[in-house]
Amino acid sequence: MFHALALPLPWFIAGPLMGLSVVAMYAAGNKHLGICGSFVQFADAARSRPLETWRFWFLGGILGGAALVTLLAGYPQAGINYGTLSRNLPLNALIPFLFVGGVLIGAGARWAGACTSGHGITGCSTRSTGSMVAIATFMVTAVAATLALNAVSGGAV
Amino acid sequence: MRTNLTVLGIGVVFGFAFSASGFNQYNVIHRMLSLQIAGPYLVMASAVLIAMPTLWYLERRHWVTPLGGEMRLRRWSPERKHVLGGIVFGLGWAVTGACPGTIPTALAGGCLLAIVPAIGVLAGIFLHDGIVEHTSQRDPAAGSEVWSEA
Repeated sequence: MFHALALPLPWFIAGPLMGLSVVAMYAAGNKHLGICGSFVQFADAARSRPLETWRFWFLGGILGGAALVTLLAGYPQAGINYGTLSRNLPLNALIPFLFVGGVLIGAGARWAGACTSGHGITGCSTRSTGSMVAIATFMVTAVAATLALNAVSGGAV
Repeated sequence: MRTNLTVLGIGVVFGFAFSASGFNQYNVIHRMLSLQIAGPYLVMASAVLIAMPTLWYLERRHWVTPLGGEMRLRRWSPERKHVLGGIVFGLGWAVTGACPGTIPTALAGGCLLAIVPAIGVLAGIFLHDGIVEHTSQRDPAAGSEVWSEA
């Protein structure tokens, strides 16, 4: 199948594009770019708390950008496919595995105040020391846990 | 409305660069966290390398944004929650290869299984807020406010 775009886009193009997005959000609208905020909007909508509408629009843009990449380059995880994880785990183990992981992500991001984009990219760019501590903790924990899981499971997860 | 459309446009660029880096693929994140590939780290580092000095410059110039008043960069002092929440987040990131950004971008690509961590993240937010509201004297709305800025 022909693809108009070869992935991955080189880091020296993708990284600056993401950096300029962070700048544009602040320079145009005084907004701190972060994606987990959109998830909180859904949670807040469900419990009738006041909403920040722009976060839904930003999420809509993210979905559009991702759909554009899928259109131009294809996407290997379409359908019931989760990369090597779905090859190594049967579905009845994979689904609870992904659910528990998701709970940890949601609770952890909420606790830490932001996620990989809000702390890691935007927070570091505003020279927020708390964000630097948070992203360093994200990274060290995730790398250590991945290497440990790899070792224990013989490379299955 | 102008703000919403501007934010939508920036979201398209961000979502494009994010997905074109392969961040919405488990295999890419897993190889990143297994220290087998450097690309994703270079993407993040170069994003910060562009944004940090530019925002610094705009801040020094007391930049007035067209849509949101004078630009005010949000910062947080390091607290215990950054480390404790960071550990919980890092564990979830490691097992799923997902973060709040990879989930919608995977869904946009047609990854049906990404619905599972998406529901998990919402459950995690409710779980966290439920614990905070039951165990501390803190006003739960104050927590929301902190979050809404990040």
